[in-house]
Amino acid sequence: MSALVRANILADFAFYRRSRLLLAFAILCVLLTGLSALPAIYSDSGVESFRTLQGIFSELNGMLLFLAGAVGLFVISSHLRSRCLKMVFTKPCTPSMWLGSAFLSAVLVSLFLNIVILGSAVILSLIWHVPVRAALIFLSTENFIASVGIIAYLMLLATLLHPALAVTFILIFNAEMFYEFHVWTQGAIRAGNSSLYLHILEKIFHFFYLLLPMVNAYGKKMENVNVALRVAHGEWKYLLYSFGYVLTLSAFCYFLALFALQRKRHI
Amino acid sequence: MIVADSVHVEFRRGLLRGKVRALNGLTLEVRDGDFFALVGQNGAGKSTAMYCFLGLMKPTSGKVEVMGRLPELGSPFNKGVAYLPEEPHYHLYLTVEEATRYYASLYGMRVSDKTIHDALERLGMAQFKSLPLSKCSKGMKQKVGIAQCLIHETRLLFLDEPTRGLDPLIVREFRETLREIHRRGATIVMNSHVLSEIEMLANRVAVVDGGKVVAQDDLRNFLTTNHELYSVTFEANGSTPEYLRSVERMGNLITGSIPKERFYEFMEYAKNSRLNVHECSLKKTSLEDTFFQIVKGSGPIA
Repeated sequence: MSALVRANILADFAFYRRSRLLLAFAILCVLLTGLSALPAIYSDSGVESFRTLQGIFSELNGMLLFLAGAVGLFVISSHLRSRCLKMVFTKPCTPSMWLGSAFLSAVLVSLFLNIVILGSAVILSLIWHVPVRAALIFLSTENFIASVGIIAYLMLLATLLHPALAVTFILIFNAEMFYEFHVWTQGAIRAGNSSLYLHILEKIFHFFYLLLPMVNAYGKKMENVNVALRVAHGEWKYLLYSFGYVLTLSAFCYFLALFALQRKRHI
Repeated sequence: MIVADSVHVEFRRGLLRGKVRALNGLTLEVRDGDFFALVGQNGAGKSTAMYCFLGLMKPTSGKVEVMGRLPELGSPFNKGVAYLPEEPHYHLYLTVEEATRYYASLYGMRVSDKTIHDALERLGMAQFKSLPLSKCSKGMKQKVGIAQCLIHETRLLFLDEPTRGLDPLIVREFRETLREIHRRGATIVMNSHVLSEIEMLANRVAVVDGGKVVAQDDLRNFLTTNHELYSVTFEANGSTPEYLRSVERMGNLITGSIPKERFYEFMEYAKNSRLNVHECSLKKTSLEDTFFQIVKGSGPIA
């Protein structure tokens, strides 16, 4: 079994290395970060360096979430569309094994990139004489956990939809957007608008907000860490809660994706 | 080795989800050690039958057993099974060496560099080991597919139109490799339109038409010799004897058949007319002749 997982993961790594789309995306990330770092190079102010570091770290983490999503999406959709899975499933390698390996490989890529970003932030802190803070580790861990959820969700969408439709779906149907809509309708109702349609809309938005997966399930609780790059003692537990949420979400997405994969005709 | 009993396959396809009946009561048996060929027109159901044997498609009704079990995706019983698809839908982002290693590793064991190298060397692919599959010709990709049979002990090999689009030299090499794999004891099931190739390789043939097997027998029973007719080919030299039938002219050459009782008369005629006779033999029925009679006619010929 370990040999099978290893073989699949190594093949997926080769896919990531040679995917031009992923490469283009990674280059874009590096270029944007480089441009953001330019002001700090010419600045002597410690505050300015701290802000730049915070900006770069936040920007890279944000881009990593997109990249992780792209990795999860492409590893599934590319294999499905190239119809090469018949070469896998006609051997003693089950769809569950292949899907699990693909998920694991994408998670490993995300972990590696998170470590690289964390390492870069630490190096920049040392170069710019900014104290290395525990919050960097906290935020990297939070970002990694969020990326795992995104990978799992996009993998599921990739087994069900064309990649372009999957991206459109995730852009339109995301929990954050429905939360905003929910808050807006609630506000309108509290302001005295008693329209029946508004009440129905409020319920629908709330339903979708609860139904759709969240990138940062405890994002609101951890907002301060991102702003001040400081972690309070009681905030570490939210990482554990986030991990539990993502683990549940990933298991749900995995089994649903597996069900879809087994029902597909790989011919 | 493989038993298919009244297999029906129906599925919906396209934007309007139109119903397609791909198999319509296919029944056949492949015995251990057979080199079994499925022949039929395009859309007859040969590839669908193979997908059912491989577990890539589930029958709507009927029973399929491969090595005594129901075929399933990624089943552990696929250990001795190898498959070469019609279109080389391989992992194009891998190099020749990586793909060979990957496909070999999917059998659940680590494969040494030497084993990979030896397999590629035997197939003349060692020099292309760093070439991505996306840049390989179809023949090269098929060799990558066949390498897995040389690395592992293949008990059952499925080939879907394996030589389509390959040049004659590669076809010849490929044929030799298949013979070797068959000699090692593997059972081979092949779909092909190239009937002459099947005549060279297979020992059993099933003719598929309209989603079912309309004839299934040993190849030798499809290739009958007609003891009542002689096939002759000679250079044109004026008129032709009136008893010469099924006359075909190709340049200066005339080919036709003569009844057995007129054979000596023809020999006399050839001697007197100083004919250059190129060939004279008892008329044999090729697989192509039989296939056309079965598919265009009402049923199998005796």
